[in-house]
Amino acid sequence: MATPLIQISGLEKAFTTKESWLGQWRLHQGKLTRHKDSVHALNGVNLTVNQGETLCVVGETGCGKSTLARVIMGLTKPSAGEIHYLDQRIDQLNDRQRMFFRRRMQMVFQNPYASLNPRMTVYQTLSEPISFHNPQLSQSHVDEKIDELLESVGISASSSDRYPHEFSGGQRQRISLARALSVEPDFIVADEPLSALDVSVQAQVLNLMMDKQEERNLSYLFITHDLAVVEHFATRVAVMYLGRVCELAPTATLFSSPKHPYTQALLSAIPRLDSNTAQPIRLIGEVPTPTEKPIGCVFQARCPYANQRCYESSPAMTLQSDGSSVACHAIEEGRL
Amino acid sequence: MNLLSVSHLHVNFHMKKQELAALIDVSFTLNRGERIAIVGESGAGKSILGFSIVNLIGKPGYIESGSIKLENKELTTMNLRQLQEVRGKRIAMIFQDPMMTLNPVLTIGDQLVETIRSHTKISYKDARNIAIEKLHNVQIASPEKRFDQYPHELSGGMRQRVIIASVLLLNPDIIIADEPTTALDVTIQAEILQLLLAICRDNGVALILISHDLGVVSKVAERTLVMYAGHIVEEGPTLEIINDPQHPYTQGLLNALPQMTLPGQRLNQIQGSMPSLTERPSGCAFHPRCPYATQKPQFIYNGVSTVACFIIEDMLNEFSENEKEAL
Repeated sequence: MATPLIQISGLEKAFTTKESWLGQWRLHQGKLTRHKDSVHALNGVNLTVNQGETLCVVGETGCGKSTLARVIMGLTKPSAGEIHYLDQRIDQLNDRQRMFFRRRMQMVFQNPYASLNPRMTVYQTLSEPISFHNPQLSQSHVDEKIDELLESVGISASSSDRYPHEFSGGQRQRISLARALSVEPDFIVADEPLSALDVSVQAQVLNLMMDKQEERNLSYLFITHDLAVVEHFATRVAVMYLGRVCELAPTATLFSSPKHPYTQALLSAIPRLDSNTAQPIRLIGEVPTPTEKPIGCVFQARCPYANQRCYESSPAMTLQSDGSSVACHAIEEGRL
Repeated sequence: MNLLSVSHLHVNFHMKKQELAALIDVSFTLNRGERIAIVGESGAGKSILGFSIVNLIGKPGYIESGSIKLENKELTTMNLRQLQEVRGKRIAMIFQDPMMTLNPVLTIGDQLVETIRSHTKISYKDARNIAIEKLHNVQIASPEKRFDQYPHELSGGMRQRVIIASVLLLNPDIIIADEPTTALDVTIQAEILQLLLAICRDNGVALILISHDLGVVSKVAERTLVMYAGHIVEEGPTLEIINDPQHPYTQGLLNALPQMTLPGQRLNQIQGSMPSLTERPSGCAFHPRCPYATQKPQFIYNGVSTVACFIIEDMLNEFSENEKEAL
């Protein structure tokens, strides 16, 4: 039985849009009321990341997947909900209390050109977290550790006094990974780490991530929109739409029998190499911006199977016979 | 007769200390109504190739030698006025980022009408009608309403549709699409690709699709050119290239795709990365990353003595083949 490492329940995050004080007044039923617009990025996300697994979060732009990553890492505070690391609640900690968890959880960002400090050499980038979290280590120990780290991500230790701009995109992403690994975390959140890289280099970084997982029993929360990578790399997949998880399933199950109408459309849209794949399922419209808290199913506006119930009540995640869980009324009622 | 033929094109970048070669001896042809794709990783020179066809490479880049012929007109020696007759009217271009291509301070309609009126003498009203018709063709709902909106009011997929509409305004013979779907989500990407394909088929427009995504290419193009470090390393029918790649680089590129390996297995990576312009290797550009590259000629025994020379090796191989035939 897999032990849960990170547990997220009922997570919500709303960003208030900046509007002037005057702009906040609305005429509502004959009365002037003050009203703040907000974008609801996360609307009740429940997820568990087990030890040693890779949970991939997929979805289109604006579905809240990056917000999820940032909220888990504590880079933004959630509006509601709880995040647990093992059995400790971590979403309400102050900076000092969070320190311990910063060692346990690390993040790799999307753009390796922006996430490394251009004015710090690789040595400085890596030595800072190591000596900060291990003040007892002597300088020679730190140096030793950095050399070891760099070699382990396939970068020669002799290049540690070079600056980020002297490396290629793939190498930079490997340095980012080395930085994340430098404090020996259990859990790494990777937010689209491959999307800025070329195919051949993507494979190098993905291989490295898989090797490290095996070596250190790491857990990944891997955020991506590239479904080919997901199929290859994930243990389980969570499909997000407008701030909610609409399907959660083991990878093989999801790709062989996608259940939620959105997942089906998403999978059918991957441009595959074999030419005889079916036509993509066309979704009407585009992802709306969730300025109002959605009532009913989040996918109703674009769903071909939506009925009255979908507009009124929001479906709960229900476990299916093959181990996947889906939030959809149509499936519950057997209409799909 | 080929619609477009590029032969022995060399594009250089003139730097203070050295000349950097961005395209080296690139040749290909495009027939009327044909859809081809140029595939390669960043730095391969595929965008430079797209730009140089319409002579859009700015300083310090320049076309060093070679010719680009549209039917029988030479594009490389044209002056600006002659080029303006070609750009947009004969060869149109779609760029990667739809937000960067559209002018944020003009309405969609103004930009479309401006495009038509700068090329043809036509009243605003007629131009507006053409623009709305084209917006309708690219499946934009309520085009009259969109006509008066600004680019920021549209989503990414819509903007790319507007750009496709603007490209169609002057009924070009060739569309060059430089990574048209890279900035879009998969579901939108599928729609845009279908639209592009339908438009090319219906109007008999030739398409040059520049992409790094072999999946996208396989959906659209009939023929594919694979580029690496400024060279075309392989050219052939798309299905052939995907099912039976010949060049080690193409093989590596296809094998590196996650779907080529069983889930959970290590991916087949190509070691190293694309060399930058300043450090292009000698000999075959791919040799530092090629698994089959030989450092130097092997010693071969020609019957009397042993020689280490590629020329002799080739001659011997030829000789033995001829001998086989003779037998």
